[in-house]
Amino acid sequence: MAHPTPLEPEDLAPPPGLRDLFIGMLQVSLSSFGGGLSAWSQRIVVEQRRWMTNESFLTGLTVARLFPGPNQINMAVYIGAQFRGLVGAAIALAGMLLVPFTGLMLVGLLYFHFHELPSVDRVLAGVVAAAAGMALSMGFKILDQYWRDPMALVLAAATFVAMVVFHVQLIPVVLLAGPLAMAWYWPRGTAPTTPPPRSV
Amino acid sequence: MPLSLTVCTPLALTDLGNLLQVLWTFLSLSLFSLGGGNTLLSEYHHLSVVQYCWLSSSQFADIYALAEAAPGPSSMIVGLLGMGAAWKEGAWWSLLSGYGAEAAILLPSTLLMVVACLSWNKFKNSPWRVAFERGLGPITLGILFAVGLKILQTADTNIPGVIVSVLVCVLMLRTRISPLWFMAVAGLLGGLGLINR
Repeated sequence: MAHPTPLEPEDLAPPPGLRDLFIGMLQVSLSSFGGGLSAWSQRIVVEQRRWMTNESFLTGLTVARLFPGPNQINMAVYIGAQFRGLVGAAIALAGMLLVPFTGLMLVGLLYFHFHELPSVDRVLAGVVAAAAGMALSMGFKILDQYWRDPMALVLAAATFVAMVVFHVQLIPVVLLAGPLAMAWYWPRGTAPTTPPPRSV
Repeated sequence: MPLSLTVCTPLALTDLGNLLQVLWTFLSLSLFSLGGGNTLLSEYHHLSVVQYCWLSSSQFADIYALAEAAPGPSSMIVGLLGMGAAWKEGAWWSLLSGYGAEAAILLPSTLLMVVACLSWNKFKNSPWRVAFERGLGPITLGILFAVGLKILQTADTNIPGVIVSVLVCVLMLRTRISPLWFMAVAGLLGGLGLINR
């Protein structure tokens, strides 16, 4: 457990097989009950199992955040694909999702059976209020990094107004605002710089 | 937020037709899940409550809360949406629809991600990547605020409920307390009848 984190490539364990990938991702998903999926995945994949260096793990986070799809899922895909291509990606994904998703499906069956009971509905009304607060915090969480960029704030505000005031659906918003924003931020002159990856 | 009394009329579809519609819906949304996937929530609401009548608005809010409370990636809400879409066809169809919906939302983005991993070195310094990364960030920001507001409206609670929502939002930003605690306490308040909708 107490390995120094930036592993040298020669310290790595041999590449995992499909079974190892499945079990490793299963371990990540079971360890992270209660949160911190990303931290657990780093601890298990880099420190305990020594499948990849910290550097390539962080590259994976960058790619996972950049591309569409849930970040944690994309990270599992990255880890699987690194070692076993498409099949590895599918196996890693299955390992990460099988237990929590099946659990959620059971919860769903119970929910649809019992949600009309007044007592269940009362408790859920409270839980929903808390969950709405979590949803509200998502935007504020990433707002900090855009404070110094007026154009980013204009783009964000325009997107917000289009969706909330004019009820434009997501796909037209992305297809319209995406190319505009990309044109504005197209790198000019200087060599592109990669921002350091942040933790999820 | 006034309670909408308009009755949503679902399309007349066979069980299989309904399943195919669920699969197609999520397959076609997959590549638009920017910024980790939560950007799709208001689209999920529109499709499942307004367009296809899979769920009522308060059921949507419940499902969102369940998916947030459950361990694992929060995008698993799609499985519950799929389940709701087929609930009246019975438990087996709804399980099939739930697993199918989750597979559908993940398949295209996963395939793209595999391609991205295998060719990352080629385009990590390409101007397309730089422009995409920097340009999509502010749009994601705007969408997340719109999504937060939508969920707040969907929760549709009384004044104590709104206070709890705002308080949770502040605590999420200022502390590292696990959100499960917030949901547990708020659930208790709801059970005691202090938060209504």
